[in-house]
Amino acid sequence: MALIEASGLTKKFRQAVKEPGLVGSLKHFFTRQYKDKLAVDHIDLSVEAGESVAYLGPNGAGKSTTIKMLTGILVPTSGTLIVDGLVPHLRRQQNARNIGVVFGQRTTLWWDIPVVESFNLARDIYDIPAKRYKKNLAEFTELLGLAEFMNIPAGKVSLGQRMRADLCMALLHDPKLLYLDEPTIGLDIAVKDSIRKFVRRQVDERGVTVMLTTHDLGDIEDICNRIVIIDKGRIIHDGDLKALKDNYARDRVIHFQLARPPVSMDPICAGLPMCDVESDGLALSVRFDRFKFAAGEIAAAVMDHVEVVDFKIDEPEVEDLIRKVYLGQLSLTAPETAAALEPAVASEA
Amino acid sequence: MAARLRPLRRLVYIYFRCLGQQMKAILAYEADFVILMISAGIVQISGFLFIWTVFARIPNINGWTFWQVVMMYSLIFITEGVGSLFFEGTWRLSRLVYTGEFDQMLLRPVSPIVQVLAGAVGFNGLGNIITGGMLLAVSLGNVNVAWTPGRALMLVILVASAATIRVAINLGTSATAFWIRAPWSMVPFFVHQLGEFAKYPITIYSLGVQAVVVVVIPFAFISFFPTAYLFNVASWGVIGLITPLVAIYSLIMGVWAFNFGLKRYESTGH
Amino acid sequence: MRHLRKYLSLAKASLEIIFVYRAGFLVNQIGSIFYVVAMFYLWQVIFLGKAGNLGYFTWPQMKAYLLIAFLLNSLMTWFDEWQMGQDIREGRVATDLARPVDFQVKRFAEAVGPVPFELTSALCIGAIVAVAFGGIAFPSDPAHLALFVLSAALATLLKFAFIYCVSMIAFWTTGMNGIQNARFAIQSIFSGALIPLVFFPDWLRAIASVLPFQSMVSTPALTYLGTMDGPTTALMIGIQVAWAVALLLLGRLVWRSAVKAVTINGG
Repeated sequence: MALIEASGLTKKFRQAVKEPGLVGSLKHFFTRQYKDKLAVDHIDLSVEAGESVAYLGPNGAGKSTTIKMLTGILVPTSGTLIVDGLVPHLRRQQNARNIGVVFGQRTTLWWDIPVVESFNLARDIYDIPAKRYKKNLAEFTELLGLAEFMNIPAGKVSLGQRMRADLCMALLHDPKLLYLDEPTIGLDIAVKDSIRKFVRRQVDERGVTVMLTTHDLGDIEDICNRIVIIDKGRIIHDGDLKALKDNYARDRVIHFQLARPPVSMDPICAGLPMCDVESDGLALSVRFDRFKFAAGEIAAAVMDHVEVVDFKIDEPEVEDLIRKVYLGQLSLTAPETAAALEPAVASEA
Repeated sequence: MAARLRPLRRLVYIYFRCLGQQMKAILAYEADFVILMISAGIVQISGFLFIWTVFARIPNINGWTFWQVVMMYSLIFITEGVGSLFFEGTWRLSRLVYTGEFDQMLLRPVSPIVQVLAGAVGFNGLGNIITGGMLLAVSLGNVNVAWTPGRALMLVILVASAATIRVAINLGTSATAFWIRAPWSMVPFFVHQLGEFAKYPITIYSLGVQAVVVVVIPFAFISFFPTAYLFNVASWGVIGLITPLVAIYSLIMGVWAFNFGLKRYESTGH
Repeated sequence: MRHLRKYLSLAKASLEIIFVYRAGFLVNQIGSIFYVVAMFYLWQVIFLGKAGNLGYFTWPQMKAYLLIAFLLNSLMTWFDEWQMGQDIREGRVATDLARPVDFQVKRFAEAVGPVPFELTSALCIGAIVAVAFGGIAFPSDPAHLALFVLSAALATLLKFAFIYCVSMIAFWTTGMNGIQNARFAIQSIFSGALIPLVFFPDWLRAIASVLPFQSMVSTPALTYLGTMDGPTTALMIGIQVAWAVALLLLGRLVWRSAVKAVTINGG
């Protein structure tokens, strides 16, 4: 049985429709009118223990609504949801023992007391056995470098320090499930990196299951195996991250720097079928499907016809891919063939 | 039986743990703490000065004497103090819901009510309790009734009941935060102000006002009826005896209101 | 006078803000009217009962007195010590220091902006209470009313000046809650808002007469009621002016040293 099992999960909000101004308020007082908003539309989601899932979608897609239902703080309108054998909103406190949460925008620490006191409070609140608490605390202190600001109130530490402390806070009670919401927002690259590595390590070594919502695709690449994309309340993609890249992010681009501008582009393009070639003076770039050609082949084909001084290879960008999905330019309903990929390539050119 | 009590004991323990942390945080600002205490004292002294000045001119109000009114004031202050010192958190609820911070309380394996109640400490409450206590002690000295152990016990019960009623009112009205999204608590403040009426014998008010402070929001049971009982005032004193029942009822209603609001919050989100 | 425009727009902005928060403001007002209503009941019992005749006022005059106290207390509520503390903590004071505005005048402009709204609201609520309790006394002639308006304006200015001075403490301490409560309590009793100063015992009356608070409520209220003779009225209003000027100047002095402290310590 999966750790998270959602079936037909739906959340409908009733929003009051009110005309602006005093007249509107008065009218509303007497005759209420409502509009239904379908935030989450019959989604099916199954997450096994130990998976690390990125939950993506444009703003307003229904991500936070889904997470709120998963954590038990929002009651679903319909559908079934079982997390570790419990219905979250019915057994909220019990579910809370199984989960750890890190919000990038807000801290879970108590603001005015030293960080270590927040941890001690967590120990009491989660009933963590003394020995386990000591062991976890020591381990996280070392891994996350918390020792330097343990005794400083949370309100006075830097953002990076606070985020690390929040991570420790979330994991002290050995939760099975870790929810991360924008965990690296606003952080510098070094701290981002150490946090991602830390989370990944928890997944690999402790078998923690991770649900990550973020707009930072570096987070996804480093932490997650699986990517679920939601838009307008529906899941439009759910699958392996590697497979996603393999199926959709197949473009690599090699940028060549030439000794002389090419006399004619025809022989070059003839040697690179199904590739997108661009030329601009001494610069030449070739976009190719990495499953069809190896970089070496492309380079060789180019060098057959022109003298190359230098070159650079661009790797497939998940960012690019996701952006296209959000903009509606790319539909991830089935693995694409090369032919179907061409319209996307064309729009890029 | 012990097993049944264990979750309750745990809640109490968590409550005091959280409250203690809040207190520690505030005590770090010593100067502010002292000023708060002193200011609470000044507020009450000025209230006392007011009654004293009034009674310097007239012998009684509707038959109620100076010391009886002082006792009513003292009960208002003491219960206010208990509310501020131990249960100030209710005043924060509106803000917590408004900013979304309240969700964090729902993500912890502890009753949100306990977390809310333990969420803040108002040290002016300590000042209120101390000066209120002194006023109470002095006014008790002017009670012309024989003190029996039963009466003394009843005093303790009445003060505890009065405090409970006050806290229950705060908790219950704070639940409006789940319906009215605002950065500060409007309805709780509004209702709290009704407590002004509880400072004086309710016999001076019109029937409508009396009905409100006795039945709708039982402020009269915080000050008036306990005072009537302790001073052994003819027919009113007897009603004082049901104060503990009113306290239990208020507490149940307060908790129910909170949970009702919480359910709505969980189904409508923000 | 180009400067005036600057402050006028600040005042206007302040008025707009309070209008946005009108719900909260009104709830505050209705909350404080409970206190007034309780007072009405209390004094009604005292005046109309056989318990005593207080001699100095008639019941209609007492009702007027209480409502004027309520009215004056309703003005300039948008400005308090706690707000100053917040402004300091959230860096608004720092940005103000970098702007070409006079700190005190700016605060005054922001404090006085909402007054039209507060005044209207208080008059409406007060009128309802007045009618419910059978009406209040009115000044015998327009001259008295005009004097009252002058006195009330001075009282409001004075209130601002005093609170401004006290709020300067915020530069040296955290948390202004306690100080504000204390100031309000002392002000309540010594301004005559809780009880007319004539009812005080002599020694308390003596203390009250040297404090600025009586000029905040008692003086304008008595001016309205016309219970003071000509010379006394002139004297009391003169005292209002004196206190207002003194406190405004004191405020400016304290502010200067506060700024020095802040800029030296880096806020």
